[in-house]
Amino acid sequence: MNDMLAGEISSVAEFLAHALEMEVESAERYRELADNMEVHNNPQVATLFRRLAVEGDAHVEQVTRRCASIELPNIAPWAFKWTSPDGPESPAMEDLHYLMSRRQALELALHNEVRGLAFYIQVADRSLDAEVRQLAGEMAREEHAHVAMLENLLRREVDNELASPGDLDPPNMPE
Amino acid sequence: MKGEMGEKRNTDISVAITGSGGSGAVTAGLILLDAAARAGLYGLMMRSYGPQIRGGESASLLRFSSRPVACMDDHVDLLVGLDWRNAGRFAQEIPLTSASLVLSDPAAGAVPTSFAASGAEIRELAFKAHAEGVAKGRLNMVAVGAAGALCGLAQGVIDAAVRKTLAGKGSEVVEQAVVCASIGYEQAGAADPAPDSTSKSAERWNISGNEACGLGGLRGGVRFVAAYPITPASDILEWLAPRLERLGGSLVQAEDELASVNMIIGASYGGVPAMTATSGPGLSLMQEGLGLAVASETPVVVINVTRGGPSTGIPTKSEQSDLNIAVNGMHGDAPHLVLAPLNVPDCVFTTQWAIRLAEHLQTAAIVLSDQSLGQARTVIDPPGEREMPLERVAEPSPQADYRRYALTGDDISPMTLPGIAHGMYTADGLEHDELGIPSSLAADHHRQLNKRRDKINAFDFGADWAELQGDGALCLICWGSASGAVFEAGARLRAQGMSVRVIALRLLAPLRCDALTQALADVECTWVVEQNHSGQLYHYLKSQGVLADDAHLLARPGPIPLRPGEIVNAITENG
Amino acid sequence: MTTVALKAKDYKSGVKPIWCPGCGHFAVFAAITRALAYLELPKERVAMISGIGCSSRLPAYVDSYGFHGLHGRALPLATGLKVARPELNVLVAGGDGDGFSIGGNHFLHACRRNIDLTYIVMDNRVYGMTKGQASPTTAPDWAKSKMTPHGTGVRRFQPAAIALSAGATFIARGYSGDPKGLTHMLVEAITHPGFSFLHVLSPCITFRPDQRSWKTGVHAFAEGPFEEPVEAAREIHADDGLGLGVLYAEKLPVWPPHIKPSGSLAEVEREFLT
Repeated sequence: MNDMLAGEISSVAEFLAHALEMEVESAERYRELADNMEVHNNPQVATLFRRLAVEGDAHVEQVTRRCASIELPNIAPWAFKWTSPDGPESPAMEDLHYLMSRRQALELALHNEVRGLAFYIQVADRSLDAEVRQLAGEMAREEHAHVAMLENLLRREVDNELASPGDLDPPNMPE
Repeated sequence: MKGEMGEKRNTDISVAITGSGGSGAVTAGLILLDAAARAGLYGLMMRSYGPQIRGGESASLLRFSSRPVACMDDHVDLLVGLDWRNAGRFAQEIPLTSASLVLSDPAAGAVPTSFAASGAEIRELAFKAHAEGVAKGRLNMVAVGAAGALCGLAQGVIDAAVRKTLAGKGSEVVEQAVVCASIGYEQAGAADPAPDSTSKSAERWNISGNEACGLGGLRGGVRFVAAYPITPASDILEWLAPRLERLGGSLVQAEDELASVNMIIGASYGGVPAMTATSGPGLSLMQEGLGLAVASETPVVVINVTRGGPSTGIPTKSEQSDLNIAVNGMHGDAPHLVLAPLNVPDCVFTTQWAIRLAEHLQTAAIVLSDQSLGQARTVIDPPGEREMPLERVAEPSPQADYRRYALTGDDISPMTLPGIAHGMYTADGLEHDELGIPSSLAADHHRQLNKRRDKINAFDFGADWAELQGDGALCLICWGSASGAVFEAGARLRAQGMSVRVIALRLLAPLRCDALTQALADVECTWVVEQNHSGQLYHYLKSQGVLADDAHLLARPGPIPLRPGEIVNAITENG
Repeated sequence: MTTVALKAKDYKSGVKPIWCPGCGHFAVFAAITRALAYLELPKERVAMISGIGCSSRLPAYVDSYGFHGLHGRALPLATGLKVARPELNVLVAGGDGDGFSIGGNHFLHACRRNIDLTYIVMDNRVYGMTKGQASPTTAPDWAKSKMTPHGTGVRRFQPAAIALSAGATFIARGYSGDPKGLTHMLVEAITHPGFSFLHVLSPCITFRPDQRSWKTGVHAFAEGPFEEPVEAAREIHADDGLGLGVLYAEKLPVWPPHIKPSGSLAEVEREFLT
């Protein structure tokens, strides 16, 4: 990831707009993933993603509170200063598989949460604005907690996959 | 001939004009038609051509009468040959008798045997020589004058007709034409012109069946037309193009018929009544699109100007062989509307009605016209306006629980349109539930199938499903363009003392079985008359259980038009 | 009329997509909702038109008007709607089979007309919905389909080159793995006056798992956008088909021209008087 972009964030309003977008997109993305897994009959992973979506909503609320009485800039969808294709905390749809296990889903979520944390750290390190650096640092600490939570879940994940059985049926032809 | 013409001239006369290579047989026919109109007569004109694009042989076939004309007579009274090159091609369309008169230019050589064999009187008139005597004279104008005289038309109306028809060609051409026409008029040595008809002051229209369909479309509210050229339907689209624009509508020339049918669905989905016109090959291509209109409940109208089939068939000739595909061409169970105008003025009414019905019932309507109506140029009484309070059932203020395909009492679901807030839905060819969401559930499929069938079947179409005439044990059943010859045959049979009933169907799908059964009450002998090879209407009626087991069939395919005499003969010879 | 600024998720109808987890079309769907929100287009003024195929399912997922039409016939459907209702924002979506095989003829003529539509083709070089047959953009030697067990042996259809030759005035290529670029191109495509063709590489995880390689294969298109077709043609032909960006953009009159009504039906009827 190109650290330079994150370092260009130079105002609290701009930073909060990024943070909010990141969390909103992430929560919405987990909701989409949960729906998709439900439709494809992977209830274990669907439940996990649903839970992460709910937690994402909580993060959205946290960031929203910080934004109270601050006017956020209107940033075009392509102009956010992260170089990941989506927001750093949003798992890419293309990284899914309908047969993925809970462990794989957790690994994916962790990867993205770590990325989110990295974003805050970079802003905290590189922004030219002191207030931004301070705020980013605070939020990085909150992110740490999210990361820790996921690491915890992953550790407790029992490796009970019977060598990923795979799908014996051929693909369907709906139409 | 002359004496008979003198007797007939106030009633009924048939004229044919043939010529080739730019001789102007068609223009001559148009002028005669216009002249007859000015004389207060009704008229019908058809044209026939060889395959060449230019210079080929052509024939104008006309019939004038003091009563409305809806078909060709059994024979031609006057045949005018501008020349005889390849004229034999038209022999089967120009039946002559010994009472007929053939006007021939000696410079053109002998009258072909196919005409001479009839025993008709042959009279010579040197069109060419007379025309050459006039600077820039045209021989067809000499012929026009002569023919007009022999038809009993006054020189004044012929003059006026020449001026009107040639108006765009410049005053010199017009004046020379008038001179030629008067030469021909004198040379014919005709009887006194017909007395001025009292109905001459009545307003008449000069209109073709295709134009009438176009007008029906405009009256019906059509303001979007997709067009792909095909013989013999292109005239409808070309007539509509500038006029739609004047009225604020649009005509788009599509890349093919697959595009046309889908374009009209798109426009209609947007709320604009939409229509296209085609012939058999195009109608075949449009079937999938029509099915989409039925399944998504989007109103559309397709006018099919039937030509000789199957496949490429006989593009310039008429037939009634598209009934099967119109009624049964869509896959799946796809109830929809099929209507057929009975004559040229009826093209206006039937097309307008088809559009209003399609709009109200949210379905596809096919209007079965054919080449004999579409490309007939007629002089008729102006078709009156009929009130048709049939509107698209709209939902102007949808609520959050709006369901596009809601099951209602009359199975017609109020429709929103793009632009109306809260009324969003995705129309679909996939089977769907009341919300329009795709569904493969049996209950949804049954409900929507029932809905799409019942909204049409339960509708009260009123009395226009057919034209019923007379009473009697003998019943003639027909549809579309065959009606003209059938009604005339019926009149002749009545004149012979028979009691005849005629049922001319205008609404073919859904078939009004109860009404038809009622109309057939006390009938002892039924004849189905149609212009196709396999008896499509006959078998359709049989399949619906409305035809007696011993019903007779007179089915003759194109390209020759059905004539009243052959219908009368078939019935009387059969006992 | 909606007055509150809508967010991207407000443009979702709530119907859950049936695309496979891992399908590229999700990203295209997301980009569309973002683009519509960014442009603040009222939902009731947007119409999504599609044909048949996985990507053609998209209209049901968008909270706007829509028509899920016939295989290959989305463009004429959209054309009829746009001509009849020119004030609507009409987007057309479909796949490579729908758009370039059965829909090929309509594609050519839509490009020619320069009607103000945005045509988004999600190209995964396969017929996904019918179980993995080769499509016009499949390489000739791809031998994984039962219908063409030796591969088709037929050269690939070149969407961008053909769009250019057919007269499209806006041609762009996006990738589902580049949502930012895709959203930006979508906004440009929608605002471009005239026919905009957005060719999106959108991998099929089920039948073309090999398309993961696109992630590292895509690159910026050389020096686009071009405004002049000869230059553009050279660069488009030279490109390996994975060049991303706006390839071509030209301003030409939008079809059809608006013509004011000038007459009445009564006048038309009077023409028939003898």
